[in-house]
Amino acid sequence: MSTINFANREINFKIVYYGPGLSGKTTNLKWIYGKIPEGRKGEMVSLATEDERTLFFDFLPLDLGEVKGFKTRFHLYTVPGQVFYNASRKLILRGVDGIVFVADSAPNRLRANAESMRNMRENLAEYGLKVEDLPVVLQVNKRDLPDALPVEMVRAVVDPEGRFPVFEAVATEGKGVFETLKEVSRLVLARVGSGA
Amino acid sequence: MVEPSLVLYGALYEEALRVLEEALRETGARYALLVDRKGFVLAHKEALWAPKPPPLDSLATLAAGNAAATQALAKLLGEARFQEQVLQGERMGLYVDEAGEHALLLLVFDENAPLGKVKLHGKRAAEALARLAEEALAHPPKLHLDTEYREEAKALLDELFN
Ligand SMILES: Nc1nc2c(ncn2[C@@H]2O[C@H](COP(=O)(O)OP(=O)(O)OP(=O)(O)O)[C@@H](O)[C@H]2O)c(=O)[nH]1
Ligand SMILES: [Mg+2]
Repeated sequence: MSTINFANREINFKIVYYGPGLSGKTTNLKWIYGKIPEGRKGEMVSLATEDERTLFFDFLPLDLGEVKGFKTRFHLYTVPGQVFYNASRKLILRGVDGIVFVADSAPNRLRANAESMRNMRENLAEYGLKVEDLPVVLQVNKRDLPDALPVEMVRAVVDPEGRFPVFEAVATEGKGVFETLKEVSRLVLARVGSGA
Repeated sequence: MVEPSLVLYGALYEEALRVLEEALRETGARYALLVDRKGFVLAHKEALWAPKPPPLDSLATLAAGNAAATQALAKLLGEARFQEQVLQGERMGLYVDEAGEHALLLLVFDENAPLGKVKLHGKRAAEALARLAEEALAHPPKLHLDTEYREEAKALLDELFN
């Protein structure tokens, strides 16, 4: 549910980067922050532990510009992927308009990918939401790993029905980062005014 | 429980600004914000004499995150809610109170604002804003954003991300 501020003529959307610990969610946001020109982005806020693991969330506001008289903005969040931070993860999903699921291509993270997706379903259910009802984009990250699993194998465990658009990425090099964000933004915008 | 969109406009928005303004006047605070639970700013006012505020987006997001965590803690301990929160440093302070179920009131104040007043008038303002939010939710405006909006937005996406 986008937040609309009629008085200031603003429409705001909340996009959440979800996925297992260390899959590269924060790296996505950092890359975006680095590439978006001044004036189109706000401050990036990171609530992280000393070893740079997300503790509560990362936050980055982006300005799309003015559309039909409405300033249109995206608020990007990442959740903490580590299993034991679930209470915080749940809070971040409140009011979400679209999701980027960042999966890890490393063979030893296949299971973590699957568990994180299951966890996301459970957490969304607490808000009365189904994955099927939301724009979700799957990003298969860390394609540069020498032992990266085939994309189809990663997809099979998180999205067996092949429902979500998939992007391959190397977030550390920015590969696939904008493509992913653009697609989820497009899907989120496509729901505006369509009764959703 | 899908999060409803809290939309303030027209008379209700003006009224919210008036409440925020009065809160500033009565408390001597610098900035007053009405924020939804997702961390989006719905309305804000700055005292005329106040220096430039910090980024409001960050302020709103962090306060909303903090409030959400506090509420979750209350539930864990079997409480329906905790009272308002006051965070105080040497010079600056932050007052956060629930304005009903869907919004928060934030007051940023400095050492010249008496805490008693901040709390008293903060509470009053939060109650008034809660009523406005209720009303706004009961009468959501129809927004006619159509294919044209989507097309234009898409063009902007291309521009921003290419
Ligand atoms: N090889 C490789 N490493 C990556 C890639 N993307 C991210 N990393 C590395 O993976 C590590 C974790 O990245 P983060 O972005 O912090 O992961 P996260 O998903 O935010 O992790 P949590 O905050 O714990 O949930 C860092 O050392 C990154 O540099 C990638 O595409 N390839
Ligand atoms: Mg992180």
